[in-house]
Amino acid sequence: MKNSTARLIIVLAIISIGSGLLLALTYNFTIPSIEANAAREQEIAILETLPGATKYEEIAGTEYSMYKGFDDTGKLIGISYVAEGGGFQGIIKMMIGINPEKEEITGIKILSHSETPGLGARIGEAGFQGQFAGKSINDSFVAKEDVEAITGATISSKAVAGIIKDSLPKAMEQYKASGGGK
Amino acid sequence: MDYGNLVVSSSPHIRSEDTVQRIMMDVIIALLPATAASIYFFGFRAMAIVVVSILAAVATEAVIQKIRKKPVTISDGSAVITGLLLALTISPAMPLWMTAVGAVVAIGIGKQVYGGLGSNPFNPALVGRAFLVVTFPVHMTTWINPMDGVSSATPLNLLKMQGIKTGYMPLLLGNVGGSLGETSALLLLIGGIYLLYRGIIDWRIPVSYLGTVAVLTLVLGSDPVFHLLAGGLMLGAFFMATDMVTTPVTKSGRLVFGIGAGLLVVIIRLYGGYPEGVLFSILLMNTFTPIIDRYTRPRIYGEVKTK
Amino acid sequence: MKSTSYEFFKGLWKENPTFRLLLGMCPTLAVTNAAINGFAMGLATTFVLLGSNIMIAALKKLIPDKVRIPSYIIIIATFVTIADLGLAAYFPDIYKVLGLFIPLIVVNCIILGRAEAFASRNSVGASLLDALGMGAGFTWALTLLGIIREILGMGSVFGIKLFGESFISWIIFILPPGAFLTLGLLLGLFNALSKKKAEAN
Repeated sequence: MKNSTARLIIVLAIISIGSGLLLALTYNFTIPSIEANAAREQEIAILETLPGATKYEEIAGTEYSMYKGFDDTGKLIGISYVAEGGGFQGIIKMMIGINPEKEEITGIKILSHSETPGLGARIGEAGFQGQFAGKSINDSFVAKEDVEAITGATISSKAVAGIIKDSLPKAMEQYKASGGGK
Repeated sequence: MDYGNLVVSSSPHIRSEDTVQRIMMDVIIALLPATAASIYFFGFRAMAIVVVSILAAVATEAVIQKIRKKPVTISDGSAVITGLLLALTISPAMPLWMTAVGAVVAIGIGKQVYGGLGSNPFNPALVGRAFLVVTFPVHMTTWINPMDGVSSATPLNLLKMQGIKTGYMPLLLGNVGGSLGETSALLLLIGGIYLLYRGIIDWRIPVSYLGTVAVLTLVLGSDPVFHLLAGGLMLGAFFMATDMVTTPVTKSGRLVFGIGAGLLVVIIRLYGGYPEGVLFSILLMNTFTPIIDRYTRPRIYGEVKTK
Repeated sequence: MKSTSYEFFKGLWKENPTFRLLLGMCPTLAVTNAAINGFAMGLATTFVLLGSNIMIAALKKLIPDKVRIPSYIIIIATFVTIADLGLAAYFPDIYKVLGLFIPLIVVNCIILGRAEAFASRNSVGASLLDALGMGAGFTWALTLLGIIREILGMGSVFGIKLFGESFISWIIFILPPGAFLTLGLLLGLFNALSKKKAEAN
């Protein structure tokens, strides 16, 4: 009786059902926190690239994930969007904030990357990211010329500059197409 | 291994003059012109790096052999060569303590953990350099120009990053940016020819290695003369890819080794992330050495070929 | 019959999963680039080990031999998913770093190994002690590796800077080759130590 097929099926089924129940419980219990974490992270990234903004809302219908940032009085500070591209070892994903009226960058933030720790990974440092704020969107963005490259990580620095340069015109176009340019 | 008074003798054996010491002495002599040139070009710093690297290598060998209660064999000169070769592959701008770290790793991790001379699968000096390249990438790629001491890029770097090609004469003589011993192709060639003349190294590896690089770069539309003279290729071809312990023993195996390493150099230099590929080409081929030896083993006389 | 305390203490040294049994090498090499990561990975593994060992010891009479491996895997996967969700919800920073390696606890040989070799033939109490001991052994090994690699690679321990600004990172130690080097040298050291101990006895 111990190894009969019916018994095998029943035991496996019981274990699977138990496992499913336990996981459903845990999932329900943890999902609010997980979603809150993701939302908080997004908010921090958006507001960091748009200094002065305290609120944001998503712009619908754009190809990039794009957000408008407002200050306390409801005045538009700028738009922020997510762009990505190839780095030295993997995809670099970042948030880029721009002021569409002045046509200048308000800030960038690297969201994720897989560059070499200690070298390319320094693109995540404030010193490197900070240099982009205030640049005109019509700049040439060439590493070692108008973008300061990280010592020993020329390729990663170039990649970041390249992603910004390539995405800016597209982002402006999408923003205008969404009706934001008026 | 101590066999005491064990004497095995029947046939009249011919005694060779070759001992580990003698071979190592010849290699040191062959490296002297290039070392002297590096000291001439880069001055006191180059000398300091050579001295520190050799001292650290020898001291590491002695300390580890003492700890393992093995006979201390620093007088055979192999640690001196590892230290010297390592020094010749690093930048004159390298801090001395990092040089010492490289030498300790070269002997410690590159050689002694495997049981010492003869048992190491990788060229110890290259293990030391590989460790330094990954550990201190910024310092390992900060080069200075021998003429004015200002920081400058190596010819290969200039070619890869900015498309600037250095002339043949500076490459031959050695007044270009680069590591201590990689700069003067001419003096390395002289050292290599001396070793060939003395019968210390076999022509097969350097010739097939350099030949593959020349042919491939030509076919792929690059300048073969530039690629032969620039970077560490000469140093690697004559002094590192010919290391007796870590390269194949069979004649055809040596050709395979040289061709494989040449292929890797060209691939890394033209398509890879690093401007220079000599280091990794030799280390990678070192891993293939046992397999190459196995498949190129000559048939024993009288043995019938099995299908 | 070995004493009860032995079931706990064997995991710390004599049958240490990392240094003596060489199990669970994937997380050992992959996530130990900082002390906190090694420690967190050790704790997450301990949690899964504890859950699966207790559950399997309790159900061992019920589970037919023929389907014991699938049953164990379901039980282990359940606890791994719980650990995954829990970390994502309450420790998002650590979760970001450990990422993929949390779900991969499922295939960590220590867990299935202990289930098969220990929990399936011992009491719940003994299995609990076994899980705690093995988990603690795994945790201290990973933390030690993380501490060494973090000191050399970043000049800090648990994120606290040890040296001044002039410290130059030994980058190799926070890269994969550094994991192999550190583990290899530690294994050599522990082998030498146990040899000495054995000779002394």
